[in-house]
This record gives sequence, structure tokens and C-alpha cells, in this order.
Amino acid sequence: MDFLITTLLNALTLISILMLVGLGLAISFGLMNVTNLAHGEFVTVGAFAVYFVQSIGGSFWLGLAAAPIAGAVVGCFLEFAIIRHLYSRPVSTVLATWGVSLILQQGLELIFGIGAKPVTPPIEGTFDLFFTVYPAYRLILIAIAMLTLLGVVLLISRTSFGLDIRTVIQNREMAEGVGINTRRTYAIAFTFGAAIAGLAGGLVAPLAIVLPQMGVNYLANAFFVVIVGGVGSIGGLVAGSVFVGGLTSVLNYQISPSLAQAIVLLAAIVAVRLRPNGLFNGASR
Amino acid sequence: MIARDRNWLLIFAVCAALAVLYPLFADGYQLTVIRDALIFGLFAASLDFFWGRTGILCFGHAAFFGIGGYIMALITLNDAIPFGSVLGIMGAVTGAAFVAAIIGYFLFFGGIRGSYFTIVTLAMGVICQQAAVSWSSVTGGDSGLIGIPPIEFDVGEIHIDLSQDLPSYVFVATIVAVVVLALWSISRGRWGTVLTAIQDNEVRAAALGHNAPLRLLVTFVLSAAIAGLAGALYVCMAGLVAPDLSGLLLSTEVIVWVAVGGRGTLLGPVLGAIFIQRAQQMISSFNPSLWPLLLGCVFVIIVFVLPDGILSIYARLKSLFKGRRRAQ
Repeated sequence: MDFLITTLLNALTLISILMLVGLGLAISFGLMNVTNLAHGEFVTVGAFAVYFVQSIGGSFWLGLAAAPIAGAVVGCFLEFAIIRHLYSRPVSTVLATWGVSLILQQGLELIFGIGAKPVTPPIEGTFDLFFTVYPAYRLILIAIAMLTLLGVVLLISRTSFGLDIRTVIQNREMAEGVGINTRRTYAIAFTFGAAIAGLAGGLVAPLAIVLPQMGVNYLANAFFVVIVGGVGSIGGLVAGSVFVGGLTSVLNYQISPSLAQAIVLLAAIVAVRLRPNGLFNGASR
Repeated sequence: MIARDRNWLLIFAVCAALAVLYPLFADGYQLTVIRDALIFGLFAASLDFFWGRTGILCFGHAAFFGIGGYIMALITLNDAIPFGSVLGIMGAVTGAAFVAAIIGYFLFFGGIRGSYFTIVTLAMGVICQQAAVSWSSVTGGDSGLIGIPPIEFDVGEIHIDLSQDLPSYVFVATIVAVVVLALWSISRGRWGTVLTAIQDNEVRAAALGHNAPLRLLVTFVLSAAIAGLAGALYVCMAGLVAPDLSGLLLSTEVIVWVAVGGRGTLLGPVLGAIFIQRAQQMISSFNPSLWPLLLGCVFVIIVFVLPDGILSIYARLKSLFKGRRRAQ
């Protein structure tokens, strides 16, 4: 029983992180049709922000507040300097963002040096959940992720900015026609997605190995979340995260992590073959 | 024969002549450097054959290079298998083609194109490298496999042994020349025309009766098979195989070679591979961590300044002068 619950909670941790990383990608890749290969670096930057704040004596929570800001700054710069010039050239976007990703990775390595960076969690120890004991920090991580996601859902469905985003996504020309500044909306949405990915990086930093190259694993998995879940809805994002995260954590118990990743990849490819519009979306792409 | 084809053949002939004359001036070490660069050039041409003609970018092409390399290594290192070199090359080519066929089937017939394809192949590359590291009982883990013997085989009565510098250079250069010429004649013929049609408008091409997914699949498999061949050749020349050969960095580098050399020209990527590797060796000897940084900058510069590769500078200059003459 408690083994089952532990597995479930482990899966939930991974799913939460994937949802946060995938959210930004669902905005840029799914809705703006921008393939941003530097998205994983937002996660890395967030994790390094926590490390940096801790290394100069700040607390974890201060670092966690800095993480989304760091992600947003990098994301805003990337949108401004590169992506907005390439909306009509998808392959060029792939190449340019990959270039930026390499520059960021190597830049972080030059600044902070080679090797894994230690990040200490704010709370050590475990929490008693009646059925099982579980690391307290992971529970906090899940809670923060869920709250963030809830906030995003409210932001998109209840605020006027959310209305702007939904309008631009549905029909860009029409949105411009009714006076919405689509460039600005894209820029803000992209920066916002980068900030959420930075937050995910900050959250995962105490659990993960913090390296300049850590982003690429999140990048690949987050893309699968978006592709498998289908674009355009929070439901798809959740479905994709549950599929990728759940399968990965269940398989990780049985077999080696890289074999598990390979199987998840194959399963994702097969899922895309069977449901080209995503697990969640029945309608056309 | 149209002028573009004539120009291509002319450049090809010049390159071939240079390749033939090179051994007269170079010592053994320089020969091996160019030989290895040519193998990577073959690899770049294989990516260009797919990317250049279909417009779909494969971001994990090194996976096929690595698969070819590992299969070659495993077969030639196994003493129980006779004719190791020949069987190894055949196995490497078939293995890479097989993996490409499976992945390509699901993707192309599932309607996956464009960015989606790029992402899935990116993940494929990541996983191949991880598999090479973690499956250490077969692949040797992080350190890879060493002591791979040079290629040797018999043609009739003649025994060909490629352990020396000159024979191996001649062998590699011949293969590269033949394959590039073959790929070029495929892609300029009917096959390439249909691929261009699919790239421009797949629905229309399908309406004209072309089986677009099948054509894309066969092109992809062929491209992967040649990447596997390049991988097999490389491990025999280098004598070792390591997880880096299927890694993301090599996948990235091959894209740069193709993009710098000029996408869709087949010959450009080979030259791009040779020149960029030369530059890489010079820069890395200065400071090894500088190279990925520069590589990143090259990506951004290509996209904004030279979207059609280095060779396009010539065409641009030409059109610039033409425009000026007309203006006068």
C-alpha cells in the first residue's frame, strides 16, 4: 500500500514539474508555432538562480522568487532579440534558438565553472501521511506547482489579458483588427512561459543535478508533453504530463532510467501515430 | 544540360581533382586529417540529402552515425564472425536504415512534419546517447569500445588492407565521391522533383497521385543508411567508438556543416564539414570550451546573415553586380 502511494507521489512530483515546463512550451510551440529549443535553458537558468542566491547567503525561498524573474529576463531578451524576427521562418527559429541554447549553456559554464552545483532544500526530513512517510520538500513542490497552474488557468480564463491571449490565438488578423497589439501579447505570453519554466527550474533544483546542460532532458520531455497532449488546452497539457511523467516514474522502478526514457519516447511516438491531434483533443488540429 | 547542373559538375570535378592531387603534397598525418573530415563530410551529405530536399530538419542524425559505428565495432571486434569488415559495413548500413524505417514509419504516416519531426528526432538523439552510456555490457559505457581493426577485404585475388594512411584515404575519398554523385543524380532527377513538390504543397502532390509519406520515408531511410555507413567508416579509421558519436553535439555540428556549406547542394556540406572541422581544431587547441560558444554564435549568424550558406555569398555578389550593371 505505502509502496503504491510512494510511487504515486513520485509520479506526481515529476508530473508537476513537467506541467510547469510544458506550460511555456504549450504557449510558444503549441499556440504561437515557435519551436523554441532554448526552452530547457529557462529551467537551467531558474535552477542556477536558486544556486546563486544560496551561494551568496540568501535563503532558498529568496532564490525561488528569483528563479522566475531570471527565466523571464532571459525569455524576454530571447523574444526581443531573435524570435520576433523569425515568426515566418520556422526552421530558422529552430537553428537560432538552438544557438542561443548553446551560448547560454557555455556561458553558465564559463561563469560558474564545470561540475554539479549543490542546492539545499528549505526543509529536510519527511512528512507523515498516515499511509506512508514522504519527503516534505516534494510535497511542497507539488503544492506550489498545483497552485501555479491554478493561477495560470484563472489568469487565462478570468482576466482581460487572458482574453487578449485567447483572441490572438484563435485568429491573429481578427485580433489585430479589433485593436489588440498582437506583437506585445506574443511577447508577454512568451516571457510568461519562460518565467514559469524558470520557476520549475527553481523548484526542481534541490532534487536534480544542477548543471549547465540539465535543460535538454526537460526540453525533450516537455515537447513530448505538448505533442502527446495536443496543443491548445490546459486539459491537453495535464493529459500529456500524466502520460509522460506517469509512465517515466512507473518504469523507473523496473528498469534503468535511459531504457525507461527510450520506452516513453517510443510510446509517445506510437501515441502520436494513433491520436495525431493529441490524447485530449478530439477535434482537428 | 542546364547551367546549374553544369556548374555543379564543374565544382565537383575541381574538388575531385584536388582530392586526387592532395596526396602528392601532404604527409601521412595531413592525409588522415582530411580522410576523417571527408567521412564527416559524407555524414553531412547524408543529412543534406534529406533536409535539403524535403525541408524537414532531422535533429538527431548522429543517432544513425552512432548506430552504424557501434554495429561496425561490435561485428569487427567479434572474432567468431568471418569477413568482419564487409559484414560490419553491411550491418551498420542495415541497422541504421532499420531504425530510421521504424521511426520514420510512425512519424511520416502519422502526419508528423516540420517542427514536430525535428523535436522527435532530437529526443531520439538524446536517448541514443543515453543508451550508449548506460548499456555498458555491450557498448562499453562512457569509455566506449577500443581496438577496432582497420577495414580489410578481398576483391577477387587482391587483398585490400586499409591500415595504411594512403590506401585508407583513397578508399574513403572514392566512397565519398561515388555516394555524393549518386545522391546528386537522385535528387536532381524525378525523385528529387517529386520531393520538392511535396515540400511545396504536400496535399497537391498527393492529389497528383504521389504517395508522399512513402517517398519521405524512403528518402529518410536512405539518408540514415548513408549516415550509418559514415559511422562505420569512422570507427574503423579512428579505432574506437564512444557515446559522443551518437550525441547531440555531433547532431548539432552536422546541421552547422550543412547550413554553412549550403543546404540542398550536397557538395557544399562536404566542404563545410572539412573547413569547419579545421576551424574547430584550431580554436579547440586554443581553448576547448570556446568551441560550443562559437558554434552557438555561428547558428545565430547563419540565420540572420547567411540563410543560404557560404556558397550563397558568390551568388549574392553576382546578383549585386548584375543589378548594378542594369542600373547603369
